[in-house]
Amino acid sequence: MTMQTEHDFLITGSHDEANRQAYAATLRMHVLTDIGNGLKDVYDQRVAPAFEKSNGRAPKDGREAMKAMLDDTYGKTWSSMIHTCQEMLWDSVRPAVERAQPDFNEKVRGLNSKVGSVSLDPSVEVPRYVSASDIHLMPGNYHTERAEDDTSQGALFDRGLYLYQGGFAGPLCDNNGRSQAEVIKRRWPEFKPKKILDLGCTVGNNTLPYADVFPDAELHAIDVAAPCVRYGHARAEALGVPCHFHQMNAEATSFEDESFDLIVSCILFHETSRTGLEKILAESHRLLKPGGMMLHMEVPRTEGMDPYSAFRLDWDTYYNNEPFLSTWMRTDVGESCVKAGFDADNYIHIAAPDLGSVSDEEFTRYAKAEDSATGTHGHWGELVMWNMYGAWK
Amino acid sequence: MSDEIKITPVNRGKRPAFFDDPAIDQLMAIVMAMSAEMSVLYDRVDTIERLLDKKGTLSRDDIEAFRPDQGVEDERNGRRNDYISRLFRIIREERETLVAHDKMDEYNALMDELAKS
Repeated sequence: MTMQTEHDFLITGSHDEANRQAYAATLRMHVLTDIGNGLKDVYDQRVAPAFEKSNGRAPKDGREAMKAMLDDTYGKTWSSMIHTCQEMLWDSVRPAVERAQPDFNEKVRGLNSKVGSVSLDPSVEVPRYVSASDIHLMPGNYHTERAEDDTSQGALFDRGLYLYQGGFAGPLCDNNGRSQAEVIKRRWPEFKPKKILDLGCTVGNNTLPYADVFPDAELHAIDVAAPCVRYGHARAEALGVPCHFHQMNAEATSFEDESFDLIVSCILFHETSRTGLEKILAESHRLLKPGGMMLHMEVPRTEGMDPYSAFRLDWDTYYNNEPFLSTWMRTDVGESCVKAGFDADNYIHIAAPDLGSVSDEEFTRYAKAEDSATGTHGHWGELVMWNMYGAWK
Repeated sequence: MSDEIKITPVNRGKRPAFFDDPAIDQLMAIVMAMSAEMSVLYDRVDTIERLLDKKGTLSRDDIEAFRPDQGVEDERNGRRNDYISRLFRIIREERETLVAHDKMDEYNALMDELAKS
């Protein structure tokens, strides 16, 4: 497993804790891929034939496939294991973060900004789609504060995210943001954004690569969760990357109209709600300068997907606390963009894999492809294609 | 507010049970936690061995301070993966049995064919 880049604010824990974390990540990947890929054989050879025998037809969608799979021993065992892995992952990080306090919060509070800035706004309300469930089973989610100026959830997320990704998103957990930034640069080389905004940035791991790809741009990042914003700022300063963090809600920010050339988000939409998504698109429209662009990276959608693949993605909706994931996958983003004020002709939909998962030439081909929104799914163990939705203003 | 911080779930919801008896899910969680502790112990032994190889002596502080480099981590990860494969062999075998079952059908068909010919 690629090791995580250490920085002044990364909490990894003691000798044994760090090894417990590594084990939890490796075990999770094993269950997700080695054991998880066996689900397909079980589905094809045992579950789907049994379903057909008793119903006179094949399962028609992800929900039917899931119900049948969860009745099967292999499906039950895998589900029980992967759910436990997710709990073990957070549990492996938790004691180190707890123990680091209150000194850690003090250290973040005492930080002198050298390259970026941070602004908190306690009046920002955490929307229900964030507050109502511990997303990914992360205890306390992104936003919970247990002390004054608390950063614990940010520290927990930075380490937990790296383990969740099993190191596959790189030592800075920034592969998604870097990939999207590179898609933009390679597809539209003449587009030179001066001001960039990242929505729902959490700890800024997918925000900072924009500073590498567009070094002349001024970079801003917002999130509703104060612990993540505080921690994200400290992390960016420690890494020496200039970025301005703000505690704001992407549905209604306090930036002026036409403030940005480029607005992005990374795997944010499926953690919002139907109305949240529509408000974010409308707010993006308000904030964009004419000629500016928004592009939002998301997980593969189940639309048009075979029932088995849909089951694998739907599983997370139900058991990994991603309550909007299933609805998101059935949302017509193009229609939502038009509703938000964008011209249908300016709609963008690109699908590309992670930078580094294919050769550089192949990545450029995906980025530039006229009809690149094909082959839009895949799960762990296969080539994962990320979907990017957006529009020019 | 207190200085002590306890990171607890705020809205996790009820823990899902996938087996008909939730005790099996609990047992699964216990077995998996135990597997982690065994791996952690192995890593500690590995640290001790590496320190002894290098210095011929060690202290508790040396062990606590030891952090693997990417090479050591890769080695450990390979071992963890092998260990996990052995530990959960029974589940992998269930998948392999599916394929074996297909082969069994082919074999039965072959037996029939040979009996008739």
